[in-house]
Amino acid sequence: MRAVVVYAWARSAAGAIVHADGGVEWRHARPVAGEDDPAAVAAALAVAGPDGDVVGLTLGDADASWALARGAARAVRVTDAPASDDEGVTAAVIAAGVRSVADVDVVVVGDSEEHPGVAAAVGARLGWPVVAGVVSAAPSGAGIEAVRRAGDVQETVVVTCPAVLGVAAEGAESRTPGMKEQLAARKRPVVTTTLAELGVDTLPAAVVAGGTRLPEQARTRVFEGEPEQTARQLVAALRAEGVL
Amino acid sequence: MSDDTWLLAAAGTHLKGAVAAARAAGGRVTVLAVGPRELADAAAAAAPDEVRWLETADDQPAEAWAAALAAEVAAAAPHVVLAPSDPASRTLLAAAAVPLGAALLTRVLTVRSQDDALVVDRSSLGGAVVETLTVQGPLAAVLEDADDAPPAAAPATVAPLAPAGAPVPMQVKREPLPGAAAGIRDAARVVSVGRGLRSKDDLALLDGLLAALGAELACSMPVADDLGWVPKERYVGRSGQHIAPRLYLALGISGMPQHLEGVRDAKVVAAVNNDPAAPIFRTADYGVVGDLYEVVPALVAALAE
Ligand SMILES: Cc1cc2nc3c(=O)[nH]c(=O)nc-3n(C[C@H](O)[C@H](O)[C@H](O)COP(=O)(O)OP(=O)(O)OC[C@H]3O[C@@H](n4cnc5c(N)ncnc54)[C@H](O)[C@@H]3O)c2cc1C
Repeated sequence: MRAVVVYAWARSAAGAIVHADGGVEWRHARPVAGEDDPAAVAAALAVAGPDGDVVGLTLGDADASWALARGAARAVRVTDAPASDDEGVTAAVIAAGVRSVADVDVVVVGDSEEHPGVAAAVGARLGWPVVAGVVSAAPSGAGIEAVRRAGDVQETVVVTCPAVLGVAAEGAESRTPGMKEQLAARKRPVVTTTLAELGVDTLPAAVVAGGTRLPEQARTRVFEGEPEQTARQLVAALRAEGVL
Repeated sequence: MSDDTWLLAAAGTHLKGAVAAARAAGGRVTVLAVGPRELADAAAAAAPDEVRWLETADDQPAEAWAAALAAEVAAAAPHVVLAPSDPASRTLLAAAAVPLGAALLTRVLTVRSQDDALVVDRSSLGGAVVETLTVQGPLAAVLEDADDAPPAAAPATVAPLAPAGAPVPMQVKREPLPGAAAGIRDAARVVSVGRGLRSKDDLALLDGLLAALGAELACSMPVADDLGWVPKERYVGRSGQHIAPRLYLALGISGMPQHLEGVRDAKVVAAVNNDPAAPIFRTADYGVVGDLYEVVPALVAALAE
């Protein structure tokens, strides 16, 4: 099976600084691998199987070798992909990148908390079925078996290929590639392409960003001082809330 | 394009908050419920103007209908289509956005019309800021799940929907989540420990507090996963349990977004942490700055008063 794994398609929230006035400074605006991307690579490798082929797909000036060091055989990088607020636009670029790879059976996208629309929108653009919120996946006959959770229920979804999976990480990456894997990754091929080559129209943006502010949520009531006193204050507050 | 708002719902959670957001977006509010009868009834109880219901087979995920429903939504041409954040609902939404020619935004808090445009507030950077965006043309928005307020109006009627298109072949098998029976899921009060606890033996320190509160014990992921001090089915968060107790008391937990996601629906969150700058003091309802080894016995004493 041939899997395309999409990674590092969003700006890193960790690189953003929030100022006291609610303004945001993007110090490292470049896309970096997301929290869910390692799990997406793992799922792509699992679905492709030992004889399969995993192709990385990334956007902007991200480090294409990131997925290569984790087991992808080659990568495609769309160099001039815009950082868009419209997740449909991001997905359209990703879908065009997927179409540039022949005979793809499955696309795996990190199902990010910050951008929960992208994986599903990639499927919508390709016209392929989507399973989002996936925690693990495996090949099953001519298709894929994907596991996810919904409340107290575990769902095992079987879908025929081609299909798109949105994979959510369950924890931090357990093992990062060593020096040997990183050196091997640098020898693997990376094809660079552009929106024009992919035939993606750059339409005027329908979404215009108008600034940020701090959320006006109720502030935490914080008690400071001697433990006997703060404990009494907390217990009194919880009694008043009626939760004891 | 009409001035109406549609809400695509494949799961029964957070529907009242979602219908309230749809009301604010304007026009006639239609919920498209995709799933069993109980889902359609839950949607009706949230008091939209109407519910269109597509019944799915027991072993059929709602997403099997994504393309067929997208065509139905596009034919109605609402100016705003919303969905709660569960995976199936947002998959239906993303599919509808394409034929509708709609921009797709996520983590959306509110949508309102202003001067022929839509003004959207959304949560960004894990909730650290609210971003305002202006959208020209139709909008598809995944909502940030909001607290369910009781609806102001009578339940809507439910009319069946028979899409022209066919579903794609997809099957789902549902089974109880391993570990879902853990006592913390139904507990009214939960006391949870994080890496602020220094050793497994120190869990004994919590016994008195658990008894005084009638609470169940939970923990952060590293306490169960890395340290193995507490059974895995008791850790709370994005990849652990999602619980909705009346009181969630976090002891020595820093308050990372992945952890707090599991207690979003708790009524009151209180935290004890010795670092006044701990992120949990930005999101909890109540906080005590102090050493949990001193505050816990003091809490037991205060509860006995
Ligand atoms: C994809 C992904 C998914 C994840 N899913 C989850 C999840 O589901 N659940 C989860 O919990 N985590 C999850 N995590 C991990 C999460 O990011 C945090 O690392 C974790 O929640 C931190 O646990 P903690 O608060 O116990 O530890 P820490 O972050 O180390 O915090 C310990 C806190 O204890 C305080 N402290 C220390 N000593 C004392 C004392 N004597 N008295 C009082 N306070 C003290 C410190 O000030 C500190 O704030 C996930 C991470 C990733 C990347």
